[in-house]
Amino acid sequence: MQISPLTAKVRDDFPILKRKINGHPLAYLDNAATTQKPNCVIDAQVRFYENHNSNVSRGVYTLAEEATDIYEEGREIIAKFIGAADSGKIIFSSGTTESINLVASAWAQPKLKTGERIMVTEMEHHSNLVPWQLVAQNCGAELVYWPLNPESGNSSDGRLDLQKLDELLAESVKLKRKIRLLTVTAVSNVLGTVNPIAEIVKIAHAHGVPVLVDAAQAVARMSIDVSAWDCDFLAFSGHKIYGPTGIGVLYAKHERLEEMHPFQGGGGMIRQVGRQTSTWADAPQKFEAGTPPVAEVSGLAAAVGYLSDVGLPEIQQHELELTTHALKRFAEFKDLELYGPPETIDRSGVLSFNLQNVHPHDVAQVLDESGIAVRAGHHCTQVLHKRLGIAASVRMSFGLYNEISEIDRIFSALDQARNIFLA
Amino acid sequence: MTTPSIYRDLLLEHARHPKNSGRLESPDLRASAFNPLCGDELELTLTVSEGTIQDCKTQVRGCSICQASASMMSELILTKTLQEAANISQVFTESLQKDTEEIAESLDSLRPLIVLKKHRSRIKCMKLAWDALEDCARQNQT
Repeated sequence: MQISPLTAKVRDDFPILKRKINGHPLAYLDNAATTQKPNCVIDAQVRFYENHNSNVSRGVYTLAEEATDIYEEGREIIAKFIGAADSGKIIFSSGTTESINLVASAWAQPKLKTGERIMVTEMEHHSNLVPWQLVAQNCGAELVYWPLNPESGNSSDGRLDLQKLDELLAESVKLKRKIRLLTVTAVSNVLGTVNPIAEIVKIAHAHGVPVLVDAAQAVARMSIDVSAWDCDFLAFSGHKIYGPTGIGVLYAKHERLEEMHPFQGGGGMIRQVGRQTSTWADAPQKFEAGTPPVAEVSGLAAAVGYLSDVGLPEIQQHELELTTHALKRFAEFKDLELYGPPETIDRSGVLSFNLQNVHPHDVAQVLDESGIAVRAGHHCTQVLHKRLGIAASVRMSFGLYNEISEIDRIFSALDQARNIFLA
Repeated sequence: MTTPSIYRDLLLEHARHPKNSGRLESPDLRASAFNPLCGDELELTLTVSEGTIQDCKTQVRGCSICQASASMMSELILTKTLQEAANISQVFTESLQKDTEEIAESLDSLRPLIVLKKHRSRIKCMKLAWDALEDCARQNQT
């Protein structure tokens, strides 16, 4: 295998990469779905259970204090990692989905009035779409779309037009249809598009519209700075940044935290409980009812440490090299339709495509026989797939351990798919 | 596919040249099935006389396994009663859930599908046409 300096350094850190699948070395190229875990993440969780396991913020004994320290240090590490001014703005959740539902229930629902609007884009994952449909339906509000460029037809370069956003927001003001929130992904989980979040936030704020950023795909691929971006909310998951499942993050600006009602009721989120009513703890605890995922936080902190050690600029450079190679290979084949930006500008290493006249499921199955893990389906973006005029696609998505030779293996296996299904 | 080539060829033949493909114009029963995993869709239309399936067509937007399953099903259920067809569907479903390699004699023509059951993620693809068939059988009862 052709080994790059970065992967030579990291591949041994991931025990699962030693596996053989159907007699071939595993080529794991479904990193947009979830990433594999390095030893340090696995060890951090084992260490927690072997040495420090207890509940947090409840006991006065040594173990309880240690567990509380691990949990709160995790919050500090996350705050620093995404450029938040302090850890009080970091809420732990079960994942991006819960983080977004939290904002929908605790912030948007109490505010939204009949006839008001929430703006989403056509490229959102169901987790950044369905919670808004639910809250809009509950409140008699309307979901409006910031369309992909160009506005009509099936073809698109996978980008969003900033001027169009400005026009749409201005139009809503004119119609007196208040837009309560613009919610947008930083990186598309299908198109690979990298959206210019700082500029988007600037335009939205100029119209008085707060912005939620779905950073699920972005966090492992680029440096995040919520202070520079000036976004109101940002959500991501641990398992997509080489950390554990079951842990996610919601960042919220101080002003937004102040506006938020409790999300779930239970232990840990209260100040005083009476027979009929209660009062709430301050943020972030106000939004963390029940025993939190402490072992997962220790794993997430280890993952963030790992990403920082490897270096996000190095990871970004590596992904650019992989993406450049993949785009070059795509250009060789007329029967492959690639979606999203056709060049590396505004693009990350998430590449969705179709092999003409072969169903994505069939393509993915042939790839699996060669030990290659890719995703086939609509990738939780039915609105986007409909916009592109397709039902499903095949997706390869890169992680820091992927090799150029693994991309070449995909293109060889595609030849087998052609032989089986098109011969 | 990692299946004996004889099964694979049979399956691909059905996928490429599906039997009873399309929509009946005036069906007595009609059901759609949807695979939320991949967005695949299937519509089954049947004409039934005195409980017996006279004609059957499937309109499929799906993968080779989904398409082949619909084609094989249509061949198997034509001229059977709806009750018999529903029974076959039940035995087929059970055989997909069982760990054994054994296949009931009545399902012999479905062997190329059943051998793929180790690919758990593809069972929904195989089942889509049969889900629509069971829906039709339920409609007929009410």
